[in-house]
Amino acid sequence: MNTDPADTRYPHLDLGDLIAGAAGQPIGDRAREHLAGCERCRREANRWNIVAGGVRGLAAAAPAAAGPARPRRTGQRVLAGPWRRTLLAAGSAAAALVLLVGVGAVTGLVHVHLSGPGTQTALTAVTGCTQVEQADGTLEQVNGSSLVIQTASGQPVTVTTTAATFVSMSGALLGDITDGASVMVRGSSSGGTIEAAIVTVGQPFSAVNPAGFVPIQGMVADAGTAGFTLVTSTGARIPVTTSGDTLVVVPHASPGQLPAGVTIFAVGQAGPDGTLSATAVAAVLQLPSGPHIRESVKVKDCSPSSIEEALGAISAARVPAG
Amino acid sequence: MNDPRGDPGAAIFTGSQDGACDDAGLLRRIGRGDEDAMAAFYREHGRVLLAQVLLVTGERVLAEEIVQDAMLAVWRGAGSFRGESSVRSWVIAIARRQTRDRLRGRRLRVVDDAFLADQPGSAPGPEVMALDRAELAEVMGAIRELAPAHREVLGLAFGSGLSLPEVAGVLEIPVGTVKSRLTAARAALNRILNEKGQNR
Repeated sequence: MNTDPADTRYPHLDLGDLIAGAAGQPIGDRAREHLAGCERCRREANRWNIVAGGVRGLAAAAPAAAGPARPRRTGQRVLAGPWRRTLLAAGSAAAALVLLVGVGAVTGLVHVHLSGPGTQTALTAVTGCTQVEQADGTLEQVNGSSLVIQTASGQPVTVTTTAATFVSMSGALLGDITDGASVMVRGSSSGGTIEAAIVTVGQPFSAVNPAGFVPIQGMVADAGTAGFTLVTSTGARIPVTTSGDTLVVVPHASPGQLPAGVTIFAVGQAGPDGTLSATAVAAVLQLPSGPHIRESVKVKDCSPSSIEEALGAISAARVPAG
Repeated sequence: MNDPRGDPGAAIFTGSQDGACDDAGLLRRIGRGDEDAMAAFYREHGRVLLAQVLLVTGERVLAEEIVQDAMLAVWRGAGSFRGESSVRSWVIAIARRQTRDRLRGRRLRVVDDAFLADQPGSAPGPEVMALDRAELAEVMGAIRELAPAHREVLGLAFGSGLSLPEVAGVLEIPVGTVKSRLTAARAALNRILNEKGQNR
């Protein structure tokens, strides 16, 4: 990041941060914080992420063209004997890897099936987007910007995030509603008080709005355990009540905020080493009384923004119509 | 291992899950003629190496031959690794030299740094917008059309797991030049995508 206080020409992330972020390497907390609040840098980071995604897409496709190595002439040499066996064995392993990764290729429709507390949620398919892969399961551990997801089949999947990765978190996170926070409240109104069903803390506020709810935007004041006051742009003060069933969505979480054991969805590109380089990650903390919902969320196209939107909508999908 | 074909929605990714594989230890074993270590080395690095070489050459058979040559060089020269760089960047540098030698006879089009440093303006123009709108498949296709030096630097930076200093080491250029080359590569990518968009 450009941290020279005398240099006011370009107070944004420097190219090294942007490239490191797109390459899945760690960037500093300051750079991450800047990114969260700077639309220009997010756009730029996203462009590098698109470039990196293209490279990874080609890399992921490369082994499909690579069959087991065979004896052949290389100049005056002939590969044979133990060397040949070594490459044959390794080539077979590579071919198996291709098969496994290829099965996960996806496409344009994220199906979210949530059926109540204790039931394993599953992101079962995204179809229509070639080279885009998905993984879901339980978050096992967080190592810096990398996440390890335990899938339903018991396979661990390493998911790498970058500064441009959209990481959202939702659940009964009432502690994240603090005075001064910019929020979007969705809920039912009674006697001038809103009973909050969904509170989104910080931009972007999802366009997905469950039927029957009117979204109201404002700033939080007087935050307490049972609710807060929503101060709108016109200065109106609206009482808002919250409960353990209020879904709190944090659209810009950091990987370090995600607790182990949370249900997690990740969509991105498979890296050459079998990890998933995530475009977007959604972490879902189970609410005390999980609603029974079957929901499909469409990805308009295969762009990172549409994937972010789809995963962002997973949170709202858990709340029934008002 | 469970068969993922039984659940088409359950993507399973295999391969190296961590950095626990002791590359230097593998090289020591390879130096002693351990075939299992060579196989493990191939599994650890072969796919990345092939992807990188294929990105530069654009020819599958040639890329496979170069990777085999590079692996043969590792098999024969594992003892020469001095630990001054990561094993990944060391083996990529070997493959890069092999690639250069194999392509030398073909008069590979060389793009000089004066051209590569051609950076786009800071204001987002229509070319940037082309990148914003691009689908992944379009980006992949456009990368294939880039000059070899641009494909190479993009592959090293985003497909090989190398840091910028490591990329600079492999290319034997300063980190600043790596950055400018990446910027130029992205600008060229934008131009290709923009042209394709106008032709649609």
